[in-house]
Amino acid sequence: MNFWLTVLGMLAVTFGSRLAGMLLTTPLPPFWVRFVRFVPIAVFAALIIPSLEGTRGEGLPRVIGAVLCGVLAWRTKQLWIGLFAGMLGFWIMRNLPLM
Amino acid sequence: MFWKGFRAIMPLYLGIIPFALAYAVTARAAGLGILETQALSVLVFAGASQFSAAPLLGAGVNGFAIVLTTFLLNVRHLLYGISIARVLPNMTLRQRIFGAYFLTDEAFGTFIASGVKDYRFFFGACISLFVSWNAFTLVGALASSLVPDPVALGVDLVFPLSFLALLIPILKTRIEWLVAGFSSLAAFLLVPRLPSGLGILVVGVLGSLLGAWLTKDEPVQTQVSLEDAAREVA
Repeated sequence: MNFWLTVLGMLAVTFGSRLAGMLLTTPLPPFWVRFVRFVPIAVFAALIIPSLEGTRGEGLPRVIGAVLCGVLAWRTKQLWIGLFAGMLGFWIMRNLPLM
Repeated sequence: MFWKGFRAIMPLYLGIIPFALAYAVTARAAGLGILETQALSVLVFAGASQFSAAPLLGAGVNGFAIVLTTFLLNVRHLLYGISIARVLPNMTLRQRIFGAYFLTDEAFGTFIASGVKDYRFFFGACISLFVSWNAFTLVGALASSLVPDPVALGVDLVFPLSFLALLIPILKTRIEWLVAGFSSLAAFLLVPRLPSGLGILVVGVLGSLLGAWLTKDEPVQTQVSLEDAAREVA
């Protein structure tokens, strides 16, 4: 029974975090309007950087993949082109004998 | 518009599918049944939390610690909700509740980066992730002995790369680049030193505060409300 109770608690905190912001209906003061505009930028930077290096000592090929992904995303503005180019670049680099 | 959002997530299946499989294998190996493994994907629907909770749940660890970790790993969704509520101010209560239930990093990022200000696009992206995550949780739970380790394949890189590919196109002004640079540096320094999840929230708040402060002389952005007004008139 402890399992389902814990899952209920997990559901409460995940759904609660997701819902609290979505329920906002009152107009925000100008400072917080500008704050919200920067949320995706700041949070995504925070999600990208710590997971870039990985845990298997493949930091260099992963960073090369990320640079390739970033350049192509910037030039094409297409998620899938940046993503696939980055992954391809990473897989090629990690399999090169000199890496 | 729903299907446009649904399809926009599909490149991420490259990472979602192996991780859903891997999560299911981890959960089954930790002693959870097929029903319990699937229940976490349906009810909690949060990849990192499910990964960290599955072995603990299997070992019968104190539920309070698991719930607290889950909270820290997901509290950043508060910021996403505020951002979506601002872009889609006319959502009904029902849309807010359902949108919140299925909200993820990927759906939020895809929606914001698309520039499409339509709830159906956002919801399509949400459901695309929910369906793929749950379908491949089930596959992994049923066929757990056949699944390769996604980290060994390196497909965990899909997640930072997809966030990067969503982030770069929304950086337009010098201040936006500056905030991205500051947040990256702050994440590099702070995230490894704080409990996982909390660091991302702290950096998210610091970076957004910096952006709001740097743009204090800019006129208030009214683009969103004008477009909504136009839609209502039409």
